[in-house]
Amino acid sequence: MSRYKTRKGKEVVFLVAMAILTFVGILPLFHIIVTVFTEGLPVIAERGFTFLTGTLSNGGIGPAIAGTFILMFLSSLIGLPVALLVGIYAYEYPNSLIGRWTKTLLQIMLEFPTILVGVFVMNIVAIPMGTYSGFAGAFALAVILMPYVAVYTQEAMRQIPFTYREASFGLGLSRIKIISRILVPLSKRGILTGVLIGMAKVAGETAPLLFTVGGLYQSYPTSITKPIGAIPLLIYTLIQSPSNADHAMAWGASLVLLLIFLLIFIPVRASLKEVRL
Amino acid sequence: MSKYAIETKNLKIYYADNEIIKGINLKIPENTIFALMGPSGCGKSTLLRAFNRLLELNKDARIEGEVLIFGKNIYADDVNPISIRREIGMVFQYPNPFPHLAIYDNVAIGLKLNHLVRNKEEMDKRVRWALEKSSLWDEVKDRLREYPASLSGGQKQRLVIARALALKPKILLMDEPTANIDPLGTKNIEKLLFELKRDYTIILVTHEPAQAARISDYVGFLYLGKLIEVGLTKDIFEKPKSELTEKYVTGVLV
Amino acid sequence: MPLFPFFLRYFRRKKNEDTLHFKNIKRIDTLKVITSPAIIFVLLLFVWMLTVYFYNALPAFIREGLEVYFRNTWQAAEEASKEYYGLAAPIWGTIYTSIIAILIALPISIADSVFVVDYAPKKVKNFFIIISDMMAGLPTIIYGIWGAFVLVPFLQKYVMMPLYKHLSFIPIFSSPPITGYSYFSAGILLGIMVTPFASAIIREAYQMVPFTYREATLSLGLTRYEATKILLGYIKPAIFSGAILAFGRAVGETVAVSLVIGNTFNLSIGLFAPGYTISSLIANQFGNAFIYKHMLPALYAGGLALFIIGLIVNVVGLYLLKRWQKNVEI
Repeated sequence: MSRYKTRKGKEVVFLVAMAILTFVGILPLFHIIVTVFTEGLPVIAERGFTFLTGTLSNGGIGPAIAGTFILMFLSSLIGLPVALLVGIYAYEYPNSLIGRWTKTLLQIMLEFPTILVGVFVMNIVAIPMGTYSGFAGAFALAVILMPYVAVYTQEAMRQIPFTYREASFGLGLSRIKIISRILVPLSKRGILTGVLIGMAKVAGETAPLLFTVGGLYQSYPTSITKPIGAIPLLIYTLIQSPSNADHAMAWGASLVLLLIFLLIFIPVRASLKEVRL
Repeated sequence: MSKYAIETKNLKIYYADNEIIKGINLKIPENTIFALMGPSGCGKSTLLRAFNRLLELNKDARIEGEVLIFGKNIYADDVNPISIRREIGMVFQYPNPFPHLAIYDNVAIGLKLNHLVRNKEEMDKRVRWALEKSSLWDEVKDRLREYPASLSGGQKQRLVIARALALKPKILLMDEPTANIDPLGTKNIEKLLFELKRDYTIILVTHEPAQAARISDYVGFLYLGKLIEVGLTKDIFEKPKSELTEKYVTGVLV
Repeated sequence: MPLFPFFLRYFRRKKNEDTLHFKNIKRIDTLKVITSPAIIFVLLLFVWMLTVYFYNALPAFIREGLEVYFRNTWQAAEEASKEYYGLAAPIWGTIYTSIIAILIALPISIADSVFVVDYAPKKVKNFFIIISDMMAGLPTIIYGIWGAFVLVPFLQKYVMMPLYKHLSFIPIFSSPPITGYSYFSAGILLGIMVTPFASAIIREAYQMVPFTYREATLSLGLTRYEATKILLGYIKPAIFSGAILAFGRAVGETVAVSLVIGNTFNLSIGLFAPGYTISSLIANQFGNAFIYKHMLPALYAGGLALFIIGLIVNVVGLYLLKRWQKNVEI
């Protein structure tokens, strides 16, 4: 009987430990969100609209917000077509040698240190151009966006039941038409999810921008071949400043970035069972 | 000499190294319903997919022998499988209208992507014709813009038939079209097949001998990749030559 | 019939595939033709990246040999002959912080997986998965600002100080936590950041355990603790892969780490000492490396090391995970 008791005792300890660990695991997220709101909201409230539109010396992060959206748009423009084609290839030729390589490479790229992408793009774009630029940043972000969209595209298409594929072929259509006009539209929801997740990722990336965009916070960007700013990069710079005013600014910017992230993430998550980041 | 719709000459099909279809010689006359029956796993669906080269979607499949469609070998070197499939309609075991396309577009898609009609008017006409032909028009004419999810299983299957008919094929391949349909839907589809027989040659795969007996003109009994017996439906069911066939049609062999 | 030129062979349709007739090159797979440029671009990009790192690191290898990875000196000087760069400290920092991160992430993600799969009601389960996904996607700079302004002061005051005061005779607690920016802080923050990635892999694996095994363990009259232990034993390879892949993430993380590690060349076992990681070194030093003659190649050598560690860790992790998944499917 006492043996049973120790077994039961162990079980209780196990259950309690598990509950505590699980709780500890999700605690940081809540603390982070609460802190970002309590620290960031007063800053934004105090400066009001200026915070969202003004330049840095006016106490605003307008150029950084503009920069982030420009970078998101440009990187999608560069990355999406490539990603779609790569995803389609990985779906259509999964067992060929290059198909297998591609799938492995995509997985590796998902996990790859993003700072390495930044330095690489600096080397092949920023140095030859002789300047930091929005284009260089967008290119680096496109390299990061690409595997997300490609993997989601491939996965979404792979989940189409075989019978629809058979039905399309049964209509006497060419492979290219079947893929582009039937199977891709059929999986558009999954593909769109990948696009949004990739964009959420891209909006928050800092490391790839360190040596590519240069930063521009005193005026709005005018050209993609000139330096540009971004919210995460601005936060990174502000944190490292010794001034408290800059730190307040950083919290405010963090709140804006968090809201952008949530704005993309929540609808995606709501319409979907599981997301892989 | 009357031409056969489908004729096979010593047709063998392999999956990897397994021989699934073991040398079949078959002649199917025009404008009839030919039922291909046999227990599940005997290779009937595989054989059916050899008739429109859909088998090639499976990378492991390999085919030997000849399949003649109206006298032309579809496995000859210069034949494009796409054009073959365009001329042969197919209906599947699972009713599979494209879920992301409206009812109208499901019928129109083959015509549109194959550029077979010139304008909207012609398209409307052809879609209506196909839906009437599959006796679905009256049920869906007011909701052509709705998605097939709102249809019943039997209606979905008739939509799939309309999708195939829209391309004006000469032959219809049907892979257990009523396997996933309720009894009423099944009755409607069987009635429809009877009407379609006037203009089309229908190859019907079924695992129900009763269905073959009800609607087909000819029956082939396939067992373990071999064609055990072929003939007029009446003969096969009333005086089968082979003991296996007799066992199957009387329900002893499953 | 004209033969395929060798470079077009690839586009030829395989036997038994669909064809489109294309002038005199018959039977070309149009889809392959259209998608291939993208594939080639991506494959080339990867090779190109490796080449850039190797090529730019080469001067460092020529000047210092492989010692660039093993010496703990970082000497920038105006006079080029006095410059010397060794990456031992950041390499140590990278490994040390990532190991701390895994030690934190592993128990949490295992507990989380067991809880979510075995105990949580459906709604709670979804909630936990959403939280986990959100943590995985949250911009790393937000972890960074929270780490620098909230986590570090907290850890310094309530964890590092007491441990140092009472247990400083133990070597790992022996460095004074002067600022709080340290291996320890970086390790904890990384642990929080990589937990959702480990969780996702372990949870998925735990979910894949066939139901009959669950039934079997419980039918033996085992307690839930004992049953869980057996089931976790069954997914051990997946837990291992989860740990490896999370390690890979921790190794590559840049900005959050560089904000809390203290950015000091240091090679210490003391948890509370400040240090460097390869990625935070690159983030910090790259901007002014152009001033010096020999610093840049050393940084590229660091990048190359990161590249190779990242590659090996990910390939091994993914390979093991796949192998395990295949075994389960059977």
